[in-house]
Amino acid sequence: MAAALKQPLEPNFGDIDRSVLRVMEPAGRAYLIWIGFCFTLVAIAGAMWARQIYSGLGVTGLRQPVMWAIYITNFVFWVGIAHSGTLISAILFLFRTKWRTAVYRAAETMTIFAVATAGLFPLIHLGRVWFFYWLLPYPNERYLQPDFRSPLVWDAFAVSTYLTISALFWTMGLIPDVANAREATTGWRKKLYTVFAMGWQGTDRQWRHYSMAYLLMAGLATPLVISVHSVVSWDFAMAQLPGWHSTIFAPYFVAGAIFSGVAMVITLLIPMRKWLGIEDLLTTWHFDNLAKVVLLTSLIVSYAYVTEGFMTWYAGDPIEQMTFHMRYFGAWGWMYWVMILCNCVIPLLLFSPRIRVNLTVLWIITIFVNIGMWFERFVIIAGSLRVNFEPSQWGSYSPSITEIAITIGSFAWFLGLFSLFAKFMPIISMTELKEGIVWLRKALRKDIANAA
Amino acid sequence: MSIVTLIGSFTDDARCAHAIEALREASIEDFHTFSPIPSHRIEHAIGQSPSPVRWIALAGGISGVLTGLAITIGTTYEWHLNAGGKPLLSWPPFLIICFELMILLGGIFSFSGVLFFAGVPALDSKPGYNSRFSEDRFGLVVRCDEAQSTSIESMLKEAGAEEVVREAS
Repeated sequence: MAAALKQPLEPNFGDIDRSVLRVMEPAGRAYLIWIGFCFTLVAIAGAMWARQIYSGLGVTGLRQPVMWAIYITNFVFWVGIAHSGTLISAILFLFRTKWRTAVYRAAETMTIFAVATAGLFPLIHLGRVWFFYWLLPYPNERYLQPDFRSPLVWDAFAVSTYLTISALFWTMGLIPDVANAREATTGWRKKLYTVFAMGWQGTDRQWRHYSMAYLLMAGLATPLVISVHSVVSWDFAMAQLPGWHSTIFAPYFVAGAIFSGVAMVITLLIPMRKWLGIEDLLTTWHFDNLAKVVLLTSLIVSYAYVTEGFMTWYAGDPIEQMTFHMRYFGAWGWMYWVMILCNCVIPLLLFSPRIRVNLTVLWIITIFVNIGMWFERFVIIAGSLRVNFEPSQWGSYSPSITEIAITIGSFAWFLGLFSLFAKFMPIISMTELKEGIVWLRKALRKDIANAA
Repeated sequence: MSIVTLIGSFTDDARCAHAIEALREASIEDFHTFSPIPSHRIEHAIGQSPSPVRWIALAGGISGVLTGLAITIGTTYEWHLNAGGKPLLSWPPFLIICFELMILLGGIFSFSGVLFFAGVPALDSKPGYNSRFSEDRFGLVVRCDEAQSTSIESMLKEAGAEEVVREAS
């Protein structure tokens, strides 16, 4: 660990700048190959989507009764991934959490690209995507308007609000850092950062209004982040379908979103820290705290699984009991137990302080959490639809190559955009890291002591 | 009497705040600062009142609620859709739209407010700016009469200025 550190044990403001700006230096061949690989997969997914638009949804595996499956699972999964960014950037900002400063920009960036990915799936799932605007109210000659009592309309408003507010909050935080990059670069990069910095100079007047607006945006984003995944959960909970119709869905989905989101932050940050050489900015102290959030939310999610089963048993509704019996022991029961293993059992390892700072083991655990949370959404969405009220209506589902290619393409789209950002913009907030420099120094001292 | 600009450079915000307090005690108010981070010390030393951005955000939030009510009630009256016998004006779902629009417009107004009040985008540099003030130094720029400049320069140095640069205005 000590050998990997590229700056002094007691870094100053200049050392932080140099470490962050070094990441933004021109890319090497490995990076270009990675970007090329990601966008090749995106192009394949785009071609499959074009084929689906031309041919219709018949090219997917969607058949009655499972008309919501992988696409909607991906939508909920990516919206969930987006939640940790706002948790770290807004909620933990209001609580003045010290370790958030080094990780918040990466988490917020992840939020933007995850929402941008999530937003594609309701469109991909539409048979006639060119009529997507029918979900929004607009003046028309037949006086047709959307039904505001439908959770799908709430969802359109919630997700677009979330994307807009997250993007504004992210942009605001970037302005002082980009101004800093403007001073340290030359050539076309300097011109680019000069435009993005919009003349920011850090005057007392600018900071005065910035600090107030940042606080207000954090205050607005905090209830928003809770509301968005609650609204997403109501897409299901407002329906009468056994396995969906549940009052615990809103808090259960919010906890699950934070669980999967923070796990994804760790999944991205551990390799990024190594490949970009920023071990001196992202210390084991940061990962230890992120792992604690994963552990806490894993326990909440586990509690929700138990409560859901208990409520079904206690309510005594035979149709709902059959749905849950099939969920646990039916043909797709293995998915439920994969989900339990990944979301409830494996994260218990994080009770060990040694495992929380062992970054290889931590990374593997978070991969399992990502897999488990994807399966959780699939089990709830497709699993409940598959076993409907009447056994005569029961059916099955298997994804087509189109759905698989588009799903893989969505991961490539997300990772490609994140990698592009990490190379061209400050992926760690220099301003906030400088504000909490005392804590960074303390964390570095601890890393050195542990290594010794 | 000619006007000069003194640019004091400080290694930390505490010294810069100390210099500001000294200037204000001497009734010198024509100054501004540059800093790489927001500093409460500097803010308190200058004695700034809370930013009006909060009122802009409030206006945005109220506009959002009103827009939400207008959209939901207005479109319901335009398209009388009977969904399962539910009341035409169904307040609980309408409040969700109002809530989302309150956050949306509150956020957009806050962001626009900070750009407006902070003077961003800015085409011109504020006098006395140095690239190090975006990196690791705190700058205090004072405009004063040449007669006062020597005493102000020593005031800045006594407060801990690393260097004081003099520019003719």
